[in-house]
Amino acid sequence: MLDRLAFIITDGILLGLIYAIAGLGLSLVLGIMGIVNVAHSAFIMLGSFFAFELFRRLGLDPIISFFLAMPVFFLLGTIVYRALLTRIERVSQSQGLVAMFGLMVLIENLSTIAWTTDTRVITAAYTNASLVLGSLYIAQVKLIAGALALVLTLLFWAFLRFTLIGRAIRAMGQNRDAALSVGIDVRRLSAVVFGLGIACAGAAGVALAMVFPFSPNTQIQWLAWAFLVVILGGLGSVANTLIAGLIIGLLQSLSTAFLPFDYVYLVLYVLLAVILVLRREGLTLVVKRAI
Amino acid sequence: MLSLFFLPSSDNGSTRLRRLLVWLALSIALIVYGVVGRQLFLLSTLSTVFLYVVLTQAWNILGGYGGYLNFGMVTFFGVGAYTSAVLFQYFELSPFLTAPVAGLASAVLGVLIGIPTLRIRGAYFALVTMIITFAVQTLVLDMPVTQGALGVYLQPVRLSPLGVEQLFYFLFLGCAVAVTALVYAIEHSNFGWALIAIREDEDAAEIVGVRTVEVKWIANAVAAFIAGVVGGLYAQRIMYIEPSGTFAFDISLNVVLMAVVGGAGTWQGPLIGAPLVLLVADMLRVTVTSEVNRAIFSVIVILIALFIPGGVMGVWTRWRRRHKPKTVEAPS
Amino acid sequence: MNAVSSAPILKIANVVAGYTAGHPVLRGVNLIAQPGHITGVLGPNGAGKSTLLRAIAGFLQPSSGRIVLGDEDIAALPPHRHMERRIALLPQGRSTFPELTVAENIELGGWTMRGDRARLRQAVEAMFARYPHLRALRDRPAGSLSGGQQRAVEIARLVIGDPKVLLIDEPSVGLSPIVAAQVYRELEALKAEGRTILLVDQDVRAAIKIADYAYVLSSGRNDIEGDRSAFEGDLGVMVRRWLGV
Repeated sequence: MLDRLAFIITDGILLGLIYAIAGLGLSLVLGIMGIVNVAHSAFIMLGSFFAFELFRRLGLDPIISFFLAMPVFFLLGTIVYRALLTRIERVSQSQGLVAMFGLMVLIENLSTIAWTTDTRVITAAYTNASLVLGSLYIAQVKLIAGALALVLTLLFWAFLRFTLIGRAIRAMGQNRDAALSVGIDVRRLSAVVFGLGIACAGAAGVALAMVFPFSPNTQIQWLAWAFLVVILGGLGSVANTLIAGLIIGLLQSLSTAFLPFDYVYLVLYVLLAVILVLRREGLTLVVKRAI
Repeated sequence: MLSLFFLPSSDNGSTRLRRLLVWLALSIALIVYGVVGRQLFLLSTLSTVFLYVVLTQAWNILGGYGGYLNFGMVTFFGVGAYTSAVLFQYFELSPFLTAPVAGLASAVLGVLIGIPTLRIRGAYFALVTMIITFAVQTLVLDMPVTQGALGVYLQPVRLSPLGVEQLFYFLFLGCAVAVTALVYAIEHSNFGWALIAIREDEDAAEIVGVRTVEVKWIANAVAAFIAGVVGGLYAQRIMYIEPSGTFAFDISLNVVLMAVVGGAGTWQGPLIGAPLVLLVADMLRVTVTSEVNRAIFSVIVILIALFIPGGVMGVWTRWRRRHKPKTVEAPS
Repeated sequence: MNAVSSAPILKIANVVAGYTAGHPVLRGVNLIAQPGHITGVLGPNGAGKSTLLRAIAGFLQPSSGRIVLGDEDIAALPPHRHMERRIALLPQGRSTFPELTVAENIELGGWTMRGDRARLRQAVEAMFARYPHLRALRDRPAGSLSGGQQRAVEIARLVIGDPKVLLIDEPSVGLSPIVAAQVYRELEALKAEGRTILLVDQDVRAAIKIADYAYVLSSGRNDIEGDRSAFEGDLGVMVRRWLGV
């Protein structure tokens, strides 16, 4: 029984790390720019297919793709920002939201054209291997994905905390006018922030693809998960996002173990509703705080 | 159809009456077609248009006037459909009788969902309503009473194929007219103004005494009721429902799209948006694959959202405003 | 801080600006801020004083008129390009980055020298030397400080970039009289270093005490102006009566 519990908790923590990075980019873009990137999960899915293609065509290990995805998706993010987001920032919030949903559907369908709706998996050398610790079996692939997620989270945390540009990004989220006053080009930095958010989505997509099957038309469930992480963690900090991810991961592994499979989602949705009720006016205030 | 909108106009009562008469004439024409029309395909397509008009109008109340974009309209629709279907399955009650019950079930759900979600604003509301769709869909898949992925079968209506099409044609047309009249009434009522005040500046609305939470709840519950009723009728129309199709996110997206294309926050918007979107969708469907079709569609959505604020109705009002001063303004 | 000898002249000519089209807040403002002087802009609530500073700082683009710094028209310059031209705004109320530490706040004030990190570090230390009471607070989040302390952080964040023209909006609002007096002393110190200060203030008495020249703004126009002696004499009585002070 104790073994089983240890397994469940390890599994939950590893999943939680992955969920945390799924929400990290969303939280960053929302916290700093005030934009709900509805297309976030579409970029996660693109990250999964990025790893899929590199693996299929070049035999590239997803671990390498994980680090490759960051610069590639950063670039993609800045391009999308310049092409679309600069316009979205100028129209009303509801129009902007509709446009973002449009972007999500566009990416989903372009991906369906490219890859069909078939469910894919990436089978690397270590996909079915397990690490044995005494009587505890841990799937190696989850361990690797979890470790990568932790690395990414730490990178983000350190970047926002210790670099001048990271501090400028936080400053921009806390007081946009004051940031402009000291000479920060907020528009240019927004492109960087969005790029980082998408880079994070892409990398998260790679990590998710190592563990879960994926297809273009199931991406939207990751939006729900990422959003759950953001709601639970608030926009307070990278650390809170990590904790929120871990809580959700643990909840999932616990309820998977003790409840019929699909009820996992219900547990999480109820959690979502409870947080929303508890936070009351909450979120609008939370938005103003920064990462 | 479009020529209807290019009437010379100003704001005086007689032209407004004239414009209303145009809509009335259109309704009469549709009624006449329902009686004399013999093409099953056209009747069926038109009743789908009416169905979407109803859903889009229902969405319009809170989404268009109130500015709360519900990206989970299909939740209410699906719950309505399942309520009627389950009532038929276990009690053999005809959905024609239970449609109001389906509406009530959806309205109750709307109120329950509203408690946590209507406190949050803007984009959060949109996302949460979308997530709730998945939650309800999962629930329907898991609950024994709904028979999970197997779905529920309903009994065919004992009428000729033409009779069936005509029946639903008139049912949905009637709903569309009734709901449009309701939205028209809301637009010209204090309730409508309260919603618009919430859209423009919720804090300010609250300060001047608008009971924002109640207004949003009512708007949401009414929308849920309407969607539930047509959901129940829809279940009878297609005679078989299952979770993935009945709760398809596409339906939610279509509703928002139609409102945005036609002009959210106007009673005419859904009347223009629903047929326009379905028409374009049908034209695309015969020329390209469904993925390409939807990709093109999403590009259209992005372009309209970014470049044509207010949709068709927005263009129309701007055009009118540009042409009005010549007749109204007296030379100084 | 090294003395600033070459502060440029700031000229505002016929500036019309507002937030909604057709309803300008500023309806033709003309003024000159002489180098090395404190120029006061006085006036009742809603006269457009803050709007004027926001327009000069680039947050609001004038619909007509000219804002000339030295020999460059900066009316259309975006706000983040002002610091590199050594003109900076201290806005009304709290404007720190509340969740960044005091040191980080001040460091970001030197954003324009980010290319030279050693120099930036030195500049931050110079600020702690100049405002020693901030040193003990350097790792505290700025938002956790008292109003007076936050004002000090804001001034340090402003001064680190070595601006030659300072746009100061209501520097003493919300502060205790003692702290307010310190703030005005600091403004005089900044002037002594040769910096130009354009001071918007509702506290007419305090402003006139330190201003070399003052303009009175009302309903988006400046009708009355004069040097300190004028405001101390009859003109001052008139203005004070008119403003209800």
